Amino acid sequence: MSAEGLSLSDQHSSHVEIEGVALRFGDRPVFSDLHCSFPRGKITVIMGPSGTGKSTLLRMIGGLQKPDQGCVRVAGQEIVGLSELELGRMRKQLGMLFQNGALLDSMSIFENVALPLREHGRQGEDEIRLHVRAGLEAVGLPDVDDLLPGELSGGMLRRAALARAIVSEPAVVLCDEPFSGLDPPNVSRIESLLRDLNRNLGLTLIVTSHHMASSLRMADQVLLLQEGHSISGSPQELAESRDSAIVDFMGEDGAEYLSHHVSVKEGH
Amino acid sequence: MKGVLSRLGAWVTGGVVGLGQTVNFGASVLRSAFVSPLRGRQIVAAIYDSGVLSLALLCASGATVGFVLGLQLYYTLSRFGAESSLGTAVGLALIRELGPVLTGLLVTGRAGSATCAEIGSMKATDQLDGLRMMAIDPIHFVVMPRALGIIIVMPLLSALFVIFGIGGAYLIGVELLGLDGGSYISGLESAVAFREDVLQSIVKSLIFGVLLALISTYRGYACAPNAVGVSRATTSTVVTTSVCILLADFVLTSLWGV
Ligand SMILES: Nc1ncnc2c1ncn2[C@@H]1O[C@H](COP(=O)(O)OP(=O)(O)OP(=O)(O)O)[C@@H](O)[C@H]1O
Ligand SMILES: [Mg+2]
Repeated sequence: MSAEGLSLSDQHSSHVEIEGVALRFGDRPVFSDLHCSFPRGKITVIMGPSGTGKSTLLRMIGGLQKPDQGCVRVAGQEIVGLSELELGRMRKQLGMLFQNGALLDSMSIFENVALPLREHGRQGEDEIRLHVRAGLEAVGLPDVDDLLPGELSGGMLRRAALARAIVSEPAVVLCDEPFSGLDPPNVSRIESLLRDLNRNLGLTLIVTSHHMASSLRMADQVLLLQEGHSISGSPQELAESRDSAIVDFMGEDGAEYLSHHVSVKEGH
Repeated sequence: MKGVLSRLGAWVTGGVVGLGQTVNFGASVLRSAFVSPLRGRQIVAAIYDSGVLSLALLCASGATVGFVLGLQLYYTLSRFGAESSLGTAVGLALIRELGPVLTGLLVTGRAGSATCAEIGSMKATDQLDGLRMMAIDPIHFVVMPRALGIIIVMPLLSALFVIFGIGGAYLIGVELLGLDGGSYISGLESAVAFREDVLQSIVKSLIFGVLLALISTYRGYACAPNAVGVSRATTSTVVTTSVCILLADFVLTSLWGV
């Protein structure tokens, strides 16, 4: 409900902006002149073929990867060229799920998820425990507290890492492939968790995904990355597009989404 | 000729740049040691990993070196009829040179390589970037405690090595070869001076500890983030640190005029 109000008043404010970004690794360009923006309090799903720079884009928003050229702004603040200390301050409003989880091997799952709270929060031990338990339950891992990350499967690991990324309720959550390697029930669990976070807390979500169906369902905006440039629009706009590049990428899922979406609308 | 020269030039500049980066890195590790929180838990864990887990290795090696010294020095000294100074010879050799140097080399192989590989694989699996994204400085959270752990345990392990070495030589000289136990101990006591020998030994092992801490953490932190990069960094940690310890030992010994 609060998200509705937020979206109306801040309809045009973008939380994260990328302007004229160019980046190359050696002599291989990843981005040449990338412009895109991520609206505040909305879910943006970044899609695109493997190797087009989705993970790199998220790392750039987190300040882990400096672009060769161009601007990256988070909440109005230009972050290219900030010192590591200033970046640290900026990152307190970000949470990030890495493609491979990136949990600390030497700590239990509970301690891993509790880490952001212990480092920067002012909660007492009881409150931390409550938050961590709630986070782990939300991702469907109620009884792995004392296990080490090495003792979990890939999908469990990624879900625990998602719990860590959201436990301190940061304003922007960057999720790199939250659905890959998950079974259908867990895909819908994570999908509805992300949607609830967005609705109830008004978080800005930036998600990369290959999972077309869930992406189209949850996205407010889809950003299609292709060979260094981007096309963005609502899921419906993209699904309806006649642009051959988009049609090729969306394939049958796009058509299916469209037929479902339209039939639902007609039903109303 | 030109090719050789330019390669030599590149090698030298590479070396200088690498040294500069290592020193720079060392400075930021040092700075982070004075930033709160103290990271006591991580430091204790690091002391356990590089110290406690090296105890058995250090004791066994110390005793073995002591056996060998006892045998070798006994036969050398007995040529001059000076077997009774076995305690003196063993004590000085162990305290001044063999204790700190061999401990440095052993800890390099045992804890230095592990530290480098651990930090390197944390980098390769995005764990360091994960910390950064939680606004936690990986140098403060991961590197500083491990470096401090190595520096703290090095003199302690060296002392242990010396004690086991002296004990080993005692077993050989006194129990096996029939020297007088009293003269072994008294020779040791009278020859070893606290300031010249013991203090210098401690300073040496501290310096070796700093070298190992710096090289192993830097190599891990700066490695290429993949399996090959980690294995290269680990090898180069062991090689570089071993050479540096031997060189530093020579420089220190000649500075102190023996
Ligand atoms: N550290 C790096 N060094 C060199 N090249 C890199 C580096 N990181 C990424 N790249 C290159 O940048 C491009 C984009 O990589 P990125 O990981 O962002 O792709 P992606 O869109 O996330 O792919 P996927 O869907 O498979 O996860 C790739 O071509 C990759 O080869
Ligand atoms: Mg990726």
